[in-house]
Amino acid sequence: MRGLVKTFGPTRALDGASLTVAPGTVHGLVGQNGAGKSTLIKVLAGLVAPDAGDIEVGGTPLGPLTPRRAEELGIAFIHQDRLLVPTATVGEALFLGQERLGSRHGLWRGRLERRAAGLLDRFFGISLPKGALIQDLTTAQQQIVQITRALLADPKIIVFDEPTASLSRREVDHLFDAIGQLKAHGLTSIYISHYLAEIERICDAVTVMRNGRDVAHVDPRTTGTAEITRLMVDRDVKDLFPRHNATPGAPALSVSGLAAPPAFRDVSFTLHRGEVLGLTGLLGSGAKELVRSLFGLSPARAGRIEVDGRPVRLGSPGAAVRQAIAMVPEDRRAQGVALALGMRENMTLASLPAFSRFGFIDRARERLRVSQLIDELKIKTSGPEAAVRTLSGGNQQKVVIAKWLARQSRIYVLDEPTVGVDVAAKAEIYRLIARLAEQGAAILLLSADLDELLGVSDRILVMYRGELVSEHIPSETTSAQLLAASVSGTRAEDTAHVA
Amino acid sequence: MSLDILDSRRTAAPDLLRFGVPLALALVLVVFSLLAPGFLTLSNIVGVLVNNVALAAIVSIAMTLTVASGGTDLSVGTAVDLGSLAFVSTIIAGQPVWIAALIGVLAGVGTGLFNALLIAGLSITPFLATLGTLFIGHSLQQLTTDGGNPVYVPTGSIPPALAFIGHGSVLGVPLALWLVAVLAIGAWLLLAKSRFGREVLAVGTEPQVALYSGLPVRAVLAFIYIASAAIASIAGILISANVNAYVPYSGNAYLLNSIGAAFIGTSLSRTRRANIPGTLLGVLLLGFVSNGLLLIGWNFYWQQVGSGLLIFLALLLAFTGRRDTA
Repeated sequence: MRGLVKTFGPTRALDGASLTVAPGTVHGLVGQNGAGKSTLIKVLAGLVAPDAGDIEVGGTPLGPLTPRRAEELGIAFIHQDRLLVPTATVGEALFLGQERLGSRHGLWRGRLERRAAGLLDRFFGISLPKGALIQDLTTAQQQIVQITRALLADPKIIVFDEPTASLSRREVDHLFDAIGQLKAHGLTSIYISHYLAEIERICDAVTVMRNGRDVAHVDPRTTGTAEITRLMVDRDVKDLFPRHNATPGAPALSVSGLAAPPAFRDVSFTLHRGEVLGLTGLLGSGAKELVRSLFGLSPARAGRIEVDGRPVRLGSPGAAVRQAIAMVPEDRRAQGVALALGMRENMTLASLPAFSRFGFIDRARERLRVSQLIDELKIKTSGPEAAVRTLSGGNQQKVVIAKWLARQSRIYVLDEPTVGVDVAAKAEIYRLIARLAEQGAAILLLSADLDELLGVSDRILVMYRGELVSEHIPSETTSAQLLAASVSGTRAEDTAHVA
Repeated sequence: MSLDILDSRRTAAPDLLRFGVPLALALVLVVFSLLAPGFLTLSNIVGVLVNNVALAAIVSIAMTLTVASGGTDLSVGTAVDLGSLAFVSTIIAGQPVWIAALIGVLAGVGTGLFNALLIAGLSITPFLATLGTLFIGHSLQQLTTDGGNPVYVPTGSIPPALAFIGHGSVLGVPLALWLVAVLAIGAWLLLAKSRFGREVLAVGTEPQVALYSGLPVRAVLAFIYIASAAIASIAGILISANVNAYVPYSGNAYLLNSIGAAFIGTSLSRTRRANIPGTLLGVLLLGFVSNGLLLIGWNFYWQQVGSGLLIFLALLLAFTGRRDTA
């Protein structure tokens, strides 16, 4: 694809973008939201006609593409939404609409299932439970069924558009194995993702897009994620991870001997004011449960928690909020922002007493404070009464933080606060975290993104199998050491300070 | 790009729908006053308000509370009946009317407490919990009344206070309507203006976010179900005072109308939230339709078809709106 231009009204979605993919490779396509990735892919799918530029496949120039033509050329698309009938069996879903490929009359289900099993085994070497329904499968398994479905058309190029957005880490591994299998079969893949760590893992070459143009072509084996990020945002990474310049003060939250078997036991640490304390651990390490217990969601069974030096009991979220503890949950859309409510109703939800007089809500006061918060956090919205559902992920996350600023919370528990937001919004969230710390807030940041932890934390705690195994100073630690600590629980005495 | 166009259409459509219920009510009034000469007379309208609307309005106000909290209370009728039973029994036992009224409301509070235990305590879905209460209440009434016989206050010993509650007026307005006004204003303030109302809204629309914001979700739900049953039991006291008796299972007649009114009412809100003014309009609409159909001589057995169609229409509107925003 060369010199593609596409304008939508005044917006130049593509501004001379080119993409060259070598056959039989996995090619990464990265860029912020709005960089032009999706438009480029829509051109390839024949859904959008370019204003200028040309497309070649195997050296032959092509005329205008239509979805039909793209299919004939052997270009298949895997989207992040899985478009499978949940109550169909694997065989039915695989051959839906093309039953004759499965068995001669499309009638014999047994044969359909056997063929399906054969295909899954051949392409990916996996076998699914016999007679399983789509809804019984994990998200990754469903995705593999969908890829297999695409493979039935015998494609030459497969485009993956943000395929891991809703997958767990283990499912991502399965998907990557599957993509590796495709490569082994000589297929070409184009892989679009926000997650640079994934790109680094599976791509042979990467095209970085910015402002509708391809700005760089790099080899992920020699170019690090930091450099790719810089290319994406045209900014240095130290700007991406702004460090706060607060000096940690008095202890805000002290935990000793905290336990909630079987999730975690004997956890002790101190979080100071003006400090960003990172926390990480694999699924099952107890880090998640620890964070939940600190917000009273699943209270600890034993141990001592002190807030500002006073012992407290955190038996419910309400009790935690009374201790000025704030929670930014991982599942933003279900637990963080109330999509059915407006901006104003969201931001004052945790501090209603402050906005009420004699039990009645003072809307004027609410509006005033909410307008201030919108300005302060630079939330892009039409005003205090705007719906939250129309905001971008990053702006929604700011609404959650604004809710706790309105409450004047002093201890912030952040659970994967940057999941599913683009790089620019991430940078803004990091700036917010830094500012909170500078204003004297204490921040506990749970994250699986090790670069993020190294970029913004003052100290990092690693949990492994329910125990706190090590404490690291970012300037003396690499992400490899953090990873080693979280997968094997090695205390790495020589490089890290033990908790 | 193309999605933006769709979005603006989506927000415009419900705005039109918001006028649907007031328009329908106006239409009903006009049509029936043309068809039935006796419809648009003061005596008929007061009659409708006192006989059809007042009790239904009280039960519907109770229902609006639970609908606003994201549930329903299928046992409102049970609270009506148990309130009535307790009230009448206490009067027959020779206690003063105000003590009987207090005990009647307490019976309602008890019913609500039971629901609250199931819903807030044991996390049972409101629909199933209150359905269970409905069944238990039915048996309870059978057991206490030899299988469903009415309990009468002896004709010779009807206290004047009881007659006043049943048929009295203050400043020319029947007592029942005063009660509706007080309860409606109270519930409106609670839901639309108070801090507690905001908590109910959050619990009702986004229970998870409410929890993650530190709101006392369980306490909010418990209070709502207790308040719902207590308000419903006031309707039970009014019914008993009207007929000087406790008639088993009479409260259930209000259940479907109250659900209908509360959901018809949601169409009045841009965000499809349960609200008291909307509920009252819903009650008026249902009340005037059944009265109008009676006056033009529709077969009594067909009247529910009219109410049914109205409720279908309202639910259709309410849920299309919700689907759009989902």
